[in-house]
Amino acid sequence: MKRICLVCQNVDCKNRGSEEIIRELQQRVSEKGLNDLEVRPYMCFGACQEGPNIVLYPEKSWYAGVKKEDLDEILAHVAGGPEVKRLDTIDSSLKDLIYQLLDSGVF
Amino acid sequence: MLEGVLFPRGVVEERESLNEYRARGGYGALEKALRELSPNQVLREVADSGLRGRGGAGFPTGQKWAFTAETSEQPHYVVLNGGEDEPGSKKDRLLMENLPHLVIEGVILASYAASASKAFLYINSAYQQATKSMADALVEAKGAGYWGERILERDFNLEILFTPAPPNYVAGEDTAALEVIEKKQPLPRQKPPYPATVGLFGKPTVVNNVETLANVPPIVARGAKWYRSIGTPGSPGTMIFSLGDEVSQPGIYELPFGTPLRFLIEACGGGIRGESAIKAILPGGPSSAFLPPDKMDVALDHDSLRAAGSSIGCGVVRLIGERACMVEETLRIAEFFAAESCGQCPACRMETNMIAAMLKKVQQGQGGTPILEQFRKVIEFNRGKGFCNLIHMPGPPVESALRLYRSDFEFHLANGHCPQG
Repeated sequence: MKRICLVCQNVDCKNRGSEEIIRELQQRVSEKGLNDLEVRPYMCFGACQEGPNIVLYPEKSWYAGVKKEDLDEILAHVAGGPEVKRLDTIDSSLKDLIYQLLDSGVF
Repeated sequence: MLEGVLFPRGVVEERESLNEYRARGGYGALEKALRELSPNQVLREVADSGLRGRGGAGFPTGQKWAFTAETSEQPHYVVLNGGEDEPGSKKDRLLMENLPHLVIEGVILASYAASASKAFLYINSAYQQATKSMADALVEAKGAGYWGERILERDFNLEILFTPAPPNYVAGEDTAALEVIEKKQPLPRQKPPYPATVGLFGKPTVVNNVETLANVPPIVARGAKWYRSIGTPGSPGTMIFSLGDEVSQPGIYELPFGTPLRFLIEACGGGIRGESAIKAILPGGPSSAFLPPDKMDVALDHDSLRAAGSSIGCGVVRLIGERACMVEETLRIAEFFAAESCGQCPACRMETNMIAAMLKKVQQGQGGTPILEQFRKVIEFNRGKGFCNLIHMPGPPVESALRLYRSDFEFHLANGHCPQG
């Protein structure tokens, strides 16, 4: 299965710059030739106050409050580097809800 | 034929003129109120009658008025909410088209009770005929001295103004109506504060549905005790029910609260058209929970429908025939709410879009049965998070369909099409 990087595009995340984040991610992924990773918009992860939110699946890594400056570190994680712990701030009950939705095939 | 409160001789098919309305006692309630009763006495009569809002929430009208009347901040306003845009609901349109004076007398009485000096008629702009009928009636009523300066030579002044309502679902929400009257976008406000104390231009405002206010003149004319002799203790009076094309005799029917659902469907509607059996009943519009056909004898009132697991909403009753697929029915409802969500609350956008997307997956046979367990979690996660009630609307139909008709959902997941092919 192809790995997926989901970028929230609901109102709050958009207001905080998630459109630019998804554009930038798509560009960098293609520049780096990360062909097994697909960057996709997602309707909402329900963590609006902490956006922009990015979820990597099937790794189940959730990065909140992502800024353009964080993208290199996130892509390094995708390429096999360490997780970006400082952006992992979402509480586990919300994570469980969203991961279960993704496990059920809701993309 | 039962005697109706709003339609004393059955549903009228033509517009009632001022003279016709007066000939059957019309504006008698206003004359009685201004000559014999204080605003507070009118308010008490309506409170004692047990009248509940007919726009869907069923809130006690007298209580709502009292919040406004008791607020010292001035001025007070009254808003007639004719922003009706519920699928299948035409009751408010019919009242405004055919009984405009009954509605206007209700607006004037509400203004008197709430000590309001200005009232706004907020009417769905797609309702051209209703708007014209109300505008003509307003001119007639002013000529007769029923509103304006020193009404019926008493110390009560009232100005009545029109505001066209955008023809969409959310614009019918009470606080969205206030925004439109203030010349802003039709977006619901965060509550509290409620409009009764902080409403139009920040002032105390009574916002009532058309059918609700149409009940006020008969209550003031004939008294709370008479009104309570109709209906049930928890839901006094009558309600207008709408039946669609799936029955033999579609139309709107005024029935006392407590009438069995079966009477509405069989005696009034002539039963389901062309099909041998009913699979499901949606008794209170798209935001109510489905009922199975063995609930046909439930009484049509707030408490009985709640006890049966559903709600009365604004009286739009839909039947689903035995050959229908509940996945398709539920998906249509979910897509309606996703489209009608105004989008200002991220949680509502997330929930309504997510539920519609999940149902689409089920419809197309993508994903496994675990997806069926996720609906409840998404609904729970978003409970109470929106500015208005729309966020709570997809829950009841989706959850009840999953509970009552799970085999339709499982069939779709396994095969990607309806059990009926």
